Amino acid sequence: MKKYWKSLEEYNGTHFDPGEEDQSGISTFELLSSENNESKTSRRDFLKWCGFSFMSATVLASCESPIKKAIPYLNQPEDITPGMASWYASSFYDGKDFCPILVKVRDGRPIKIEGNKSVMLTHGGTTGRVQASVLSLYDTAGRYHHPFYNGEKTTWEQADRDIAGKLDSARKDIVLLTSTIISPSTQEVINRFKNRYNNFRHVVYDAISYSAIREANLLSFNRREIPFYRFDSAGLIVGFNADFLANWLLPVTYTRQYADSRALRKDKKEMSRHLQFESGMSVTGANADKRFKIKPHEELQILQGTYNILAGNGNGSEPEQAKNLAAEIRKNENKTLIVSGTNDIKVQTLVNAINYMAGSYGNTIDFTNSLNLCQGNDKDLQQLVNDMEAGKISALIVGDANPVYDYPGNGFKNALDKVDLKVSFSSVLNETSELADYILPSPHYLESWDDVAPANGFYGVAQPTIRPLFDTRQMQDSLLKWSDNDLSYKDLIKELWEKQIFTKQNKTGLFTAFWQESLQLGVFTPEIESVNVNISNEALATAGSLQKATVNEGWDLVFYESTALGDGRHANNPWLQELPDPVSKVCWDNFAAISPVDAEVLGVNNGDLIRLFEGVELPVIVQPGQKEKTVSVALGYGRQRSGKVAEGIGVNVFNFVEFKDGYKKYNVSIDQPVKTKAKTDLALTQTHHNMEGRAIVRESVLTAWQNDPASGNELHEFNEAHKATLYPEAKFEGHHWALAVDLNRCIGCSACVIACQAENNVPVIGKREVMRRRIMHWMRIDRYYTGETDNPGVVFQPLMCQHCDNAPCENVCPVAATTHSDEGINQITYNRCVGTKYCINNCPYKVRRFNWFQYSKNKAFDYNMNDDIGRMVLNPDVTVRERGVVEKCSFCVQRIQEVKLKAKLENRKVMDGEIQPACVQACPGKALVFGDLNDPDSEVSKLFKDERNYHVLEEMHLLPSVGYLTKIRNV
Amino acid sequence: MIKLYFTTPKNSVISTISRLLFCLITVLIFISRPVLAEESQEQSDKRDLRMGQRLFMGLVDFKSGRFDCSSCHYLGATEEINWNPSAYDLAIAWLEEDGTDIYQVMNNPVSERLEEEHYGMTITSEEERLLQVFLKHVAEEGPGVLKPYPINTFAFWIMGILMALAIIDLLFTKRVRYRFIHVAVLIIGIGVHTAFARIESVKVGRSQGYAPDQPIKFSHKIHAGENQIDCRYCHFIADYSLSGGIPSNSICLNCHNVIKNGTNSGAFEINKIHRAAKTGEPVRWVRIHKLPDHTFFSHAQHTNVAGIECQTCHGPVEEMHIVKQVEDLSMGWCINCHRDTKIQFFENEYYTTFNELYDKLKSGAIDSITASEIGGINCMKCHY
Repeated sequence: MKKYWKSLEEYNGTHFDPGEEDQSGISTFELLSSENNESKTSRRDFLKWCGFSFMSATVLASCESPIKKAIPYLNQPEDITPGMASWYASSFYDGKDFCPILVKVRDGRPIKIEGNKSVMLTHGGTTGRVQASVLSLYDTAGRYHHPFYNGEKTTWEQADRDIAGKLDSARKDIVLLTSTIISPSTQEVINRFKNRYNNFRHVVYDAISYSAIREANLLSFNRREIPFYRFDSAGLIVGFNADFLANWLLPVTYTRQYADSRALRKDKKEMSRHLQFESGMSVTGANADKRFKIKPHEELQILQGTYNILAGNGNGSEPEQAKNLAAEIRKNENKTLIVSGTNDIKVQTLVNAINYMAGSYGNTIDFTNSLNLCQGNDKDLQQLVNDMEAGKISALIVGDANPVYDYPGNGFKNALDKVDLKVSFSSVLNETSELADYILPSPHYLESWDDVAPANGFYGVAQPTIRPLFDTRQMQDSLLKWSDNDLSYKDLIKELWEKQIFTKQNKTGLFTAFWQESLQLGVFTPEIESVNVNISNEALATAGSLQKATVNEGWDLVFYESTALGDGRHANNPWLQELPDPVSKVCWDNFAAISPVDAEVLGVNNGDLIRLFEGVELPVIVQPGQKEKTVSVALGYGRQRSGKVAEGIGVNVFNFVEFKDGYKKYNVSIDQPVKTKAKTDLALTQTHHNMEGRAIVRESVLTAWQNDPASGNELHEFNEAHKATLYPEAKFEGHHWALAVDLNRCIGCSACVIACQAENNVPVIGKREVMRRRIMHWMRIDRYYTGETDNPGVVFQPLMCQHCDNAPCENVCPVAATTHSDEGINQITYNRCVGTKYCINNCPYKVRRFNWFQYSKNKAFDYNMNDDIGRMVLNPDVTVRERGVVEKCSFCVQRIQEVKLKAKLENRKVMDGEIQPACVQACPGKALVFGDLNDPDSEVSKLFKDERNYHVLEEMHLLPSVGYLTKIRNV
Repeated sequence: MIKLYFTTPKNSVISTISRLLFCLITVLIFISRPVLAEESQEQSDKRDLRMGQRLFMGLVDFKSGRFDCSSCHYLGATEEINWNPSAYDLAIAWLEEDGTDIYQVMNNPVSERLEEEHYGMTITSEEERLLQVFLKHVAEEGPGVLKPYPINTFAFWIMGILMALAIIDLLFTKRVRYRFIHVAVLIIGIGVHTAFARIESVKVGRSQGYAPDQPIKFSHKIHAGENQIDCRYCHFIADYSLSGGIPSNSICLNCHNVIKNGTNSGAFEINKIHRAAKTGEPVRWVRIHKLPDHTFFSHAQHTNVAGIECQTCHGPVEEMHIVKQVEDLSMGWCINCHRDTKIQFFENEYYTTFNELYDKLKSGAIDSITASEIGGINCMKCHY
């Protein structure tokens, strides 16, 4: 049997459990008293309190309960029913990521984001960042509450008067600097502003730049566009440093396409093959069938070699990997897709040329629905900073961007001093706003009107779901006002839709009807003409004649986006900070990932600080699969001004990104890192729960599966055959809920973890408590390595309560707080629980969580639950747990009950797939399927009967209600 | 000041001193005049307040005779319905910017009912001023509060004192010769205390019998009982929401746009609806039936799906002037009902999910299925 391991210590047999040793040095009692952290509680005090509590029990018995008021509406709005949720279609767009969403609003408060199922682009999938965005709405400390002038509170009227005056008298250029704008209406606003001020220009940039892809496409196809990629039509997927499943462009769409291409069924016996070339281990790389670790400079060599071979110019001196790649591409003519995330025009031109030769255009790459995301131009940004430096800019208006934080080096910050008027529109605290003269807070996207056009032929609307919590105004409204327009932005959107978008269809003749329908659906997708492209000779010539890359035999530092935080704009979101990185399983920090070989050379281990640059020290994570002599560090950390959650967490490495030939380069060569004497503690969650080397993940390879669908899953048959019990089998009348997890579709992105947290009021507990293995997530994604340490295979396994029919936790509860329901759910009653934790000990899956502290209204846990506005995000259908009780996944029983009631009200049975627990709903890859096992036609029943299905630890005869489908690799 | 009258000058020295003293004091008085004036203002306010209170409570006579306002316009909260506006109601009605004029109401009543009730009661402007001073005070004090469920602690304290005495006597004073008396007192005392603790702690968080004063003297007896208005006319969301729904002000106005005079309370109570509509300040009802936050309850499931009558849980509301919580709404009470209630299996397509039970019931193998038999008493039916 294959060996699976979770950490290098386990691999080497020197298993060290960080939880065994209390590293934080903080007494538990200190956290118990939220008022005064200095007093220690002694046994005497305890006895005193015992005596007191007896007295207080008597007093309590004679006390009154508070008088509660029931305040009805004055006029109940027609579309609001107190106690019931309303859903609004909207669009998530934060300047980088786009996702069509539905917003659940309960009694006027948005409490949950879900993917919009009716949109074909995402099929209802989301990412963790989209799920977590609802919490940012209620971030009191991380948002501006009113406009500021030089740090003092000011009014909108005053600011409007002053700024309009200063803009009118501006002799030099006025510049609006934003991240990519995909809203046609905002573009219209900017155009109007440009008409008003003729010395105005608009500069677009992205913190994570895709500039080279656009420029390469301009060179190759005369289109400065990013095409629409179709991973589902690809038989061979090749990724070069592109983390397309977690971060790159449209991860939700790509994940769904990728999962579809890798799904196996009785009627679909083929799956795509995925090769990944990268330096550090990304989520995408972890899912690859074959992963090649390369140094950054090798990418160009491999691509150049591959191109030469494909073009018939091979001379045999190409790298081995290029030869193999070329051979694979030849086998997959017309169904190859090569993507690269490197922001280098040479690389991107080669990628285009190879894709062209492989016949990808029109098959796996399509310019018809080319993307409007990531339009940033690195050269424009550099030009702007040069102009600022030269004093050529009178006014700089920054729109929801943070260049002070994410501009390479200190150039932007220094040049900012030479600008006369600095205005920042920002919905959140950031470093750039802090240096601006005027901070004009914009509302959160859930409080705003907007429209989006993320791709050609795709329009979406964003509508407010709550009145602005603070004194904010949208940037567009300000710009309209300053360009002497009386129109509100909302009216402008409607006007623009009527003039430009309404005319693209002929289904509805009335604009009001069209507008209402678009609002209700959230999107509008007109038919558009398809585009075919031909590559220019110039591009082929460039590709063929490219120079050899400069070879760097020394060390490379590679920057990447972390799956949780992305480019850092959501850093102040505690849900995201506490989301363990899918691969390294570290939360609350960024770190330097180095290879096991290098770790030995440097003499470092997890947590040791190494110095990368003068003054930049980062803790080490020894990452299996990391290329030797490379260090990977996540961007998005080290925020200086962001609100209390993110400040001081990690190190900002955006400063070390370089400009090369006019493009931002996300890898730099460095000297060998130096080990320092210091050591820090990392919150590493994977080693928290150990299943002691049993066959937890099962996998096989495609060819074996094609011959025998049960391959890799032989144990299942054995266990089924040897099932024996003294007790009668549990029988379920009516429903028997179950969840099937397809390990082939799960990519480990962790969107489900955040969705579960949002749905079930799971508290955030902070780094030091996570280090004590007390993370509260009801579901976790376990990451297992298999094979050798230098480049292991990776398996992700989502693990939540398995709802065993023979649950070992139920038998040991002394107070019957955890019992089995008549629908197969392992239920827990918080009010009965006395916190013996016997159930936690007896659970072989380690999915139960204990409330060590009161996590709400406790100053020691100063996150959203310690804040009146922050608590508005809580789901009223789920109890907020008290200190001292055990909690765990409930299969989102509140949703089951809701749907059952709906079915009863509509006088029908529950339909298959109608009930979607939060994790199932959020999953972008449709890896999770929930349903009723008693219904033989349900999808979950069919999956449970699949030969690939197995249960974790099934030899223990616990009869879990969660089934896993073996992972099949196409090697 | 008083001191001056005692100083009768006997000789010149004394007289000089006393004159100087007089001057000094006069100057002092002059300087301190504002303070003294203020004090007297405060005192007179207090006096006015006291006089207003006495007038209102019928302790002193009005010019037109002796009558006790508070006998009809209660100063505190009550458990019995009193159709007349309470003193607090009057106070806030009169203190409004364009509120009612007391003088007007008393001397030239605007409605028949007012005239009838206040016949022969005229007040002078001075009396009106005093009443207003008092009512302003009442408005500041806020409405009378009725304890949600007052507990009789008399027996608890008496037994506590007796037990203490018994112990003191047993150990120190030894006045009572027969030890069995001490023992009896202690045993009975402990029994009483334990019983008290048990009974009262069971009641914690429950409010059976709670019937608070509401901001509007809304009578369900008149609306649902005498006028036979369906519960769901006002509580219309109960059929499809978790919440039963407190009707919004606009629902009241559906009828009370036309009906502006009540049989019992005249226009006064109905005016409050109009006032709420005008000011935009909704009526703040006092909540009576309330389950704990960790208990999930859906009205729709019970009223719509199961067809349970409202009265099953809420008691005979149509007979209540003041709504009172009849049941204790305890978990035991819920569970008992779930054990006893038979499900209308054939009424709803949903129950075909339970195909085996369905067939058995159809074939007559079993005669009924209760809620508890299909998971009606699972913990996660209500707690999650």
